[in-house]
Amino acid sequence: MRLTPSMLLRQNLTRNLTRSVLMILCIGTAFFLFGLLSSFRAGFEGSEARADRLVVSSKVGGNETLPLAYLQDLKAMPGVAAVTHITRLRAYRSADPRDILGANAVDPESYARVYADTYRFTPALMQALADNRTGVLVGRSLAEREGWKTGDRISLTSFVHPNAQGMSWGFSVAGIFDGAEPTVDTNFLLLRSDYFNTALVRGKDQVNLFGILPAPGTDPDALIQRIDQRFANSSAQTRTQSETAYMGAFLEQFADISTIVQLVSAVAFATILLITANTMIFAIRERTREIGVLKVLGFAGPAVMGLVLAETLVLFLLGLALGLGATAAVLPLLGGALSSIVPELYLTPRAVASAVVIAAVLALLTAAGPALKALRLPVASALKQR
Amino acid sequence: MDTIHTDIELASVSKSYPLGRSRVPIFEDLTLHIPTGDFLAIMGPSGSGKSTILNLIGGIDQADAGTISIGGTALGRMGERALTRWRARNIGFVFQFYNLMPRLSAAENVELPLLLTPLSARERRERVLTILDIVGLSDRARHLPSELSGGQQQRIGIARAVASDPRILLCDEPTGDLDRKSANEILDLLQMLNRELGKTIVMVTHDDSATRVARRTLLLDKGRFVARQEMPACA
Repeated sequence: MRLTPSMLLRQNLTRNLTRSVLMILCIGTAFFLFGLLSSFRAGFEGSEARADRLVVSSKVGGNETLPLAYLQDLKAMPGVAAVTHITRLRAYRSADPRDILGANAVDPESYARVYADTYRFTPALMQALADNRTGVLVGRSLAEREGWKTGDRISLTSFVHPNAQGMSWGFSVAGIFDGAEPTVDTNFLLLRSDYFNTALVRGKDQVNLFGILPAPGTDPDALIQRIDQRFANSSAQTRTQSETAYMGAFLEQFADISTIVQLVSAVAFATILLITANTMIFAIRERTREIGVLKVLGFAGPAVMGLVLAETLVLFLLGLALGLGATAAVLPLLGGALSSIVPELYLTPRAVASAVVIAAVLALLTAAGPALKALRLPVASALKQR
Repeated sequence: MDTIHTDIELASVSKSYPLGRSRVPIFEDLTLHIPTGDFLAIMGPSGSGKSTILNLIGGIDQADAGTISIGGTALGRMGERALTRWRARNIGFVFQFYNLMPRLSAAENVELPLLLTPLSARERRERVLTILDIVGLSDRARHLPSELSGGQQQRIGIARAVASDPRILLCDEPTGDLDRKSANEILDLLQMLNRELGKTIVMVTHDDSATRVARRTLLLDKGRFVARQEMPACA
């Protein structure tokens, strides 16, 4: 029997339960779509990409290589705290070209230094790799996907980097590493570049990328300019970018994922806005008399308007929870099925925060008209409504 | 008995409604004095302006001209917010079709106006139980309006109207949707509120039986009070 303002809210929400449930489902569907698309984008981009860390690649294109000799020049450059190099093996698990697998030849020490805050390379892992020339450190996601354990022998095929035995490369799993955060992509393995470089029959001393950790206080833009100017007159010109810019450019080779996400989400939300606004207008119209009664009883216009706003906000928040909950439930299933296309599917805190903001803004936009109408509704005419 | 002065004064009040580009006058230069503790029944044909008078007194409609004051307070000088606050404290409305919140129980409907008061939840609960007892519906506290008869719903409507202890009750055809027996019970209840609790009641009605309980009856026709009937203090 204890009446509270929230009971009035509940009364309105449950007045036509089917309509409320359908609206929540409708809103939930839009946020499910948003969550899914955002997860794809995050999966492609990788949440570990940092704006302050730099990537040096060939100016010609992502598949071109740079001389390993640049390493010394980069190390000597002012503003560079640490530098490492990465060569992509472009390996396949089997002969199936769809069964591609991330495998990078790196110098473990420098790699661990540059990416220290992204991956967890324990001293034991580093020692295990140092002790085994053909050893590889496998990311947790990849190890779980392939069912690999420390000590397992694995065989990969690389059509780009042949060795003396042909296209097949044999490794043993020296250890399994984790990301610093659960959302960090660990769907790849690392092998020793010294072994890789020695075993290559062609393309020795070439790398795909250099990773650079700028010294604290260094202006990244100035450093980017210095690096590219340093190699501007060499046979292999460089393009230096922040890690996030590099990932963005990498993705745009396939599609402008970001624009696709924004466009599809915008269309979904615009549709939801129209549907919900229309429904709310009808819902408020059929309550005109009750709104009039509330005002007669002494509830001020802003209070009645607040009820309408709160009602819409609750609908959107329930839809948001449903949509993002469904996304979180579906992602593990989708992640497994699409692991060869998208390394890792996950809802980032940023995507969740964006969804909350979108829900609040849409709720305000949707409720603005009906709420203002409730605010301005003349009591005498409201009471005449049947 | 309440002795606070809540005399209602309508002085040279005019009201019209828009109809297309023109305005239809409801009444012009209407003057009315309702003393504190009165129980006035206003009768008259449909469209004569009876409900409009209630709306003007209750501050939910505005006069085109003239002044309306209650207990010396001129309603026309109050802003919307002040008027809403004043209405919550001083006026209780009873409607023909009850206008109860359909998904709130009888007790919750009665408690609704008390949300605007500084009463604690416990005090509100006690007040609601007392009022439900007065209207004879203590045993229906948890029932939804749809589970009550018309007469019972109107009792809940009256209970809600008096919940915040207003000085004045404005009743718009309170028996218009009820059978004779229920209508008489409602009229008796209103009479009790007037006689025993000192509420000033203004009731618009088509019900001739209203004259039985009202202290005064006025007949409104074509914007003028055309007949008056003074009733004995206790009918």
